[in-house]
Amino acid sequence: MLIPHPLLGLRDAEEFVYLGDASLMQRPDPDSPTALTDFCDYVFLRDNPAGVHRELWFHEQGDRSWLVVTRNTLTHEILGAELATDAARPTVTQEPSA
Amino acid sequence: MTRIRGGLIDRGTSLSFTFDGKTYSGHPGDTLASALLANGVRLMGRSFKYHRPRGVFAAGSEEPNAMVELREGARREPNTRATVAELYEGLVAKSQNRVGPLSCDVLAVNDVLSPFFAAGFYYKTFMWPRAFWEKLYEPVIRRAAGLGQLSMQADPDDYDSGFLHCDLLVIGGGAAGLAAALTTGRAGARVVLADEDFRLGGRLLSERDPLGGIPAVDWIAGLEAELDSLPNVRILRRTTVFGAYDHGIYGAVARVADHLKTPGAQVRQSLWRITAKRTVLAAGATERHIPFADNDRPGIMLAGAMRSYANRWAVTPQAHAADPVAIFTNNDDGHRTALDLMAQEVPVLGVIDTRSDAPKLGDYTLFPDATVTGSKGRLGLTQIQITRAGQSTWVDCAALGVSGGWNPNVHLASHHRGRPVWDAATQSFLPGPGGPEGMHVAGAAAGRGQTGLALADGAKAAVAALAQIGMSASLPELPAPEATADTLTPCWHVPSKKRAWVDFQNDVTVKDIALAHQENMRPVEHLKRWTTLGMATDQGKTANVTALAVMAELSGKSIPETGTTIFRPPYTGVAISALGGGDSGDSFRPRRLTPTHSWAATRGAVFTEVGAWMRAQYYPQTGETHWRQTVDREAKAVRAGVGLCDVTTLGKIDVQGADATTFLNRVYANMMGTLRVGRVRYGLMLREDGFLYDDGTCARLAEDHYVVTTTTGNAGLVYRNLEFARQCLWPELDVHLISTTDAWAQIAVAGPNARSLLSRIVDDFDLSNDAFPFMACSTLTICNGLRARLFRISFSGELAYELAVPARYGNAVMQRLAEQGADLGVTPYGIEALSVLRIEKGHAAGAELNGQTTADMSGLGMMVSRKKDSIGVVMSRRDGLAQDSRRMVGLQPVEPTHTVTPGAHLFAQGDPQDMAHDQGWITSACYSPHVGSSIGLGFLLQGDNRMGEIVIAANPLAGETTQLRIVPSHFVDPEGERLRA
Amino acid sequence: MPDLTPLTALGHDQPQSVTYGNLTMGDCPDLALASLALRRDAPVPLPFGLDLPGPGGYVASAEVAAIWTGPRQWMIEAKAKGCTDFAAQVKAQAPDAIVTEQTDGWAAFDITSPDGAAIGRLLEKLVNIDPGTVSPGTASRTSLHHMNVLLVRPDPCCLRIWVGRSFAGSLWHAVIGAAGRQAA
Repeated sequence: MLIPHPLLGLRDAEEFVYLGDASLMQRPDPDSPTALTDFCDYVFLRDNPAGVHRELWFHEQGDRSWLVVTRNTLTHEILGAELATDAARPTVTQEPSA
Repeated sequence: MTRIRGGLIDRGTSLSFTFDGKTYSGHPGDTLASALLANGVRLMGRSFKYHRPRGVFAAGSEEPNAMVELREGARREPNTRATVAELYEGLVAKSQNRVGPLSCDVLAVNDVLSPFFAAGFYYKTFMWPRAFWEKLYEPVIRRAAGLGQLSMQADPDDYDSGFLHCDLLVIGGGAAGLAAALTTGRAGARVVLADEDFRLGGRLLSERDPLGGIPAVDWIAGLEAELDSLPNVRILRRTTVFGAYDHGIYGAVARVADHLKTPGAQVRQSLWRITAKRTVLAAGATERHIPFADNDRPGIMLAGAMRSYANRWAVTPQAHAADPVAIFTNNDDGHRTALDLMAQEVPVLGVIDTRSDAPKLGDYTLFPDATVTGSKGRLGLTQIQITRAGQSTWVDCAALGVSGGWNPNVHLASHHRGRPVWDAATQSFLPGPGGPEGMHVAGAAAGRGQTGLALADGAKAAVAALAQIGMSASLPELPAPEATADTLTPCWHVPSKKRAWVDFQNDVTVKDIALAHQENMRPVEHLKRWTTLGMATDQGKTANVTALAVMAELSGKSIPETGTTIFRPPYTGVAISALGGGDSGDSFRPRRLTPTHSWAATRGAVFTEVGAWMRAQYYPQTGETHWRQTVDREAKAVRAGVGLCDVTTLGKIDVQGADATTFLNRVYANMMGTLRVGRVRYGLMLREDGFLYDDGTCARLAEDHYVVTTTTGNAGLVYRNLEFARQCLWPELDVHLISTTDAWAQIAVAGPNARSLLSRIVDDFDLSNDAFPFMACSTLTICNGLRARLFRISFSGELAYELAVPARYGNAVMQRLAEQGADLGVTPYGIEALSVLRIEKGHAAGAELNGQTTADMSGLGMMVSRKKDSIGVVMSRRDGLAQDSRRMVGLQPVEPTHTVTPGAHLFAQGDPQDMAHDQGWITSACYSPHVGSSIGLGFLLQGDNRMGEIVIAANPLAGETTQLRIVPSHFVDPEGERLRA
Repeated sequence: MPDLTPLTALGHDQPQSVTYGNLTMGDCPDLALASLALRRDAPVPLPFGLDLPGPGGYVASAEVAAIWTGPRQWMIEAKAKGCTDFAAQVKAQAPDAIVTEQTDGWAAFDITSPDGAAIGRLLEKLVNIDPGTVSPGTASRTSLHHMNVLLVRPDPCCLRIWVGRSFAGSLWHAVIGAAGRQAA
């Protein structure tokens, strides 16, 4: 496979290490009263969709960036890739308009 | 001899070769198959199951029959198709799958017993008794029904691999492929043209038709010269593109030196990984046959192959030039073979055509509406039976060409599960949707095989493919030979009570398909597995579609209703050596050498692999006859004097930045935020699931500068996880990571004399306990100005330091320490002694941190801070982990001569030794020269409360039990006085 | 100066050099290397006057060069400073940046040829990177026989491969093996 690195263009998947579901970036709040359950879900329960999947790839043999790659697990079509540091930044939530 | 005139062989040069020990002669340009035919050799092998005599059936890589063991000794390669083995001087080949001479194979008795060997026979017969399968049935069957045999020697040749990148990959160098390459080449786009043959031209080489008013070979030569002159064109001859992978990546194997007796300085084969923006698949088509009774005799072959042998190799398929040849066909192309043979003055007795409206295209006898219903000839065809309107006649016939139409080579188009689609007009499967992204199929592979069509199609496909990547190309002027008549009326097999072979390689007959149908093994996937149809080296290239059609007929369904057949990589077999890409033996994988490797080697060190690293295992001295003597001496020397060990392999990660402290507090389970500058702290890392996964030290060199060490094996993983934490979990932190593992040579200086030794090389540095206590660290200079880092940490339990210097000086510093410490008893020690010392000290290492243990279990639970968040801390509190009462203990045999065996499980005395009573296991063990007996570490239920108790270590693999006493895990200096001295 | 003899990454006291056909390969222990990373929101420095390049870039002056290695991170490479504390010199040039000594973390190998295309053909056997993109002004970090390497092209007739120092022997084996086969 070829991964469209947002900074370096198409790079062979062999340069990368695959981790899995990008939901791993949403680490639960350790201080929450439900922390133990939340962490249990975070660590053990992940979706494994046949279809579009957001997943984490590490460019270990390259620039050491973690990427969030959107990939169709059935066709291996890659719909996009972004730096995890960009994806991880909290998005500004818009106030719903009245 | 059956050589005729013409052909693309160099008659000026003769090549001598042997087959089954007999010497023959051929010419450059020959394949082994064409040269054997030219020498009148038609019997080339025995069939897989029935050991039937077999000759060559095809003229290319689809060959199911003529497989030989090529070359001798370590280079012997079984299952080589004679049809693609390029002849060279001194070639040696042997027939295979026989017992006794080829003409008198003892196992031909299987043929007489054939009723017992029908499809499904093995499954039903060798079911029981179960134990017989492995010991008796399988070895006997494998011996009898096998293909060639391996040399059982190491491959003496070199291989390599490489990577190509192009705009367009053209697979196949026939009419369509050449046109595509020319179009792309002239457009200035980067093109790779790969063809499995040793000569470009594909099917054009087998035809007599001129191109553009000149012989086709001259036209090809002109085009080849132009392509060779273009810097953007890369031609890979003798190269099979065997697989299509994701995103335009293709695997190809180039047979660089297979046409030479030995490769010499070259590699034998190269593996190419080709990344192409677009692809034109111009793989051509494979002719299919028409099964009839006894259709597998030497002399019966595909009509198109017969034409190839006549036109390209100037040989005829019969043993004597005067013997008559016949054609059996259901289409016009079969007639062309008859015409080409007649043009070469080969006696053609007639064309037997299944069609009632069969055309007569020349001056030969036509048998319309007729079939071939039988054959005779024990080791080669002598007679065929022609049946017409119920009347059967036996006629003398030495060779029969069979044509049932052509199947497009859709293989690579279906590697991504793109299912071929049935095309009624051509009565064949064409590449369907869902093929590899960016692939355009052209020419015969797309069902447009006539030369004029194929040329135009290849050019058009290239233009279309380039347009998709924003490049423009114009259609070149190409010859446009007139289309010839090309009709076909399906005839899938000639019904008979006798056996009619569909798949020659696997000995699958029409009857076997009928049996599969009867047993309800009707889907093609079941058919394949029940009958073995389409397996082995040819993967059913000449059989699959015919088998499907036969099954359709039996089911009373149409072919598309019955199913389709798709293919997996590889297109043809690829040697494991080629897939290995050449790295074997010492270069199988990269090796990492420590900075003191040279010094260790001169001291006679024995090295061992630790991950990719080569580490000194121990340093034997004269008179030491067993490694244990050496290791005991080294370990004792450390405790009595001072030892030196290269510990560079431990991972080192530089952590810097304003938020470095916060970051480290979150990735270590224990508190790091309170670490002062100039101090080192032992640290534990957990996985997010709460288990321990690595330990090491963290040294604070400056306010915002730390050096983290990891275990040798986890250096890469810890770095990756830290980057995950930095980039994915807490991108708001200002922290930077970079590995410095290789930058610094790190040497452990351990033992009561460590301080004395170091004091001899440091430049004005106070090593006293007050100035530089246990767990201190500092930068300094040594040996008159070499920058260095010193850490007072101990793995052995002794007074110890780790000294880091720029790696290029590591060897010299090691040497200097060894020289300076001669009077202090300085001793280099390897990782065996290192391990003994740490077991004696009760330090957990890889065997204890195996990913299934917790900080509590290792006796380090107190370190896990509850005052802060860190990775794994929440899950470490879950019941399953928090309530695990297994604890690390020391173990010592009750009888001092007994051995502690790692891996053994622990049981209470008197308990049954089963899973239900398992109380723990032994993780590490060694002989301790300090204790004077074998000792071990292990995890034991309630271990911390059972000191002094005796337990049983059971090693069921060796049928051993040993009584062990539970002791504290610190066998040496439990108070830690030595390391603080 | 310390009274110690340094060794090259290949374990010798002098650099090695091998020529096959029109390709010459050798190690370059005199080159120094230091990593430079930017703190959050820090301005981009101009160490030794170098305009730090963007992703995949390489810029060089006569004595010093900068190689992009990752977001906000570079390697600074210098001639004839292998035995000096080059990191300290970089730090002096970019006091606000995070600088780490890397000279002995990596080992450099130069492959030179009067025929740049020969270097391209050698690259085909070593890395899965289009040789056409390994041109002056670019830096590529990738894998070579499973080893992590940094490729730069100081000029069309020279390819420089940086590899983790402990891998130097295996890299040398891979490079001269491929070059030898190319010349065969």
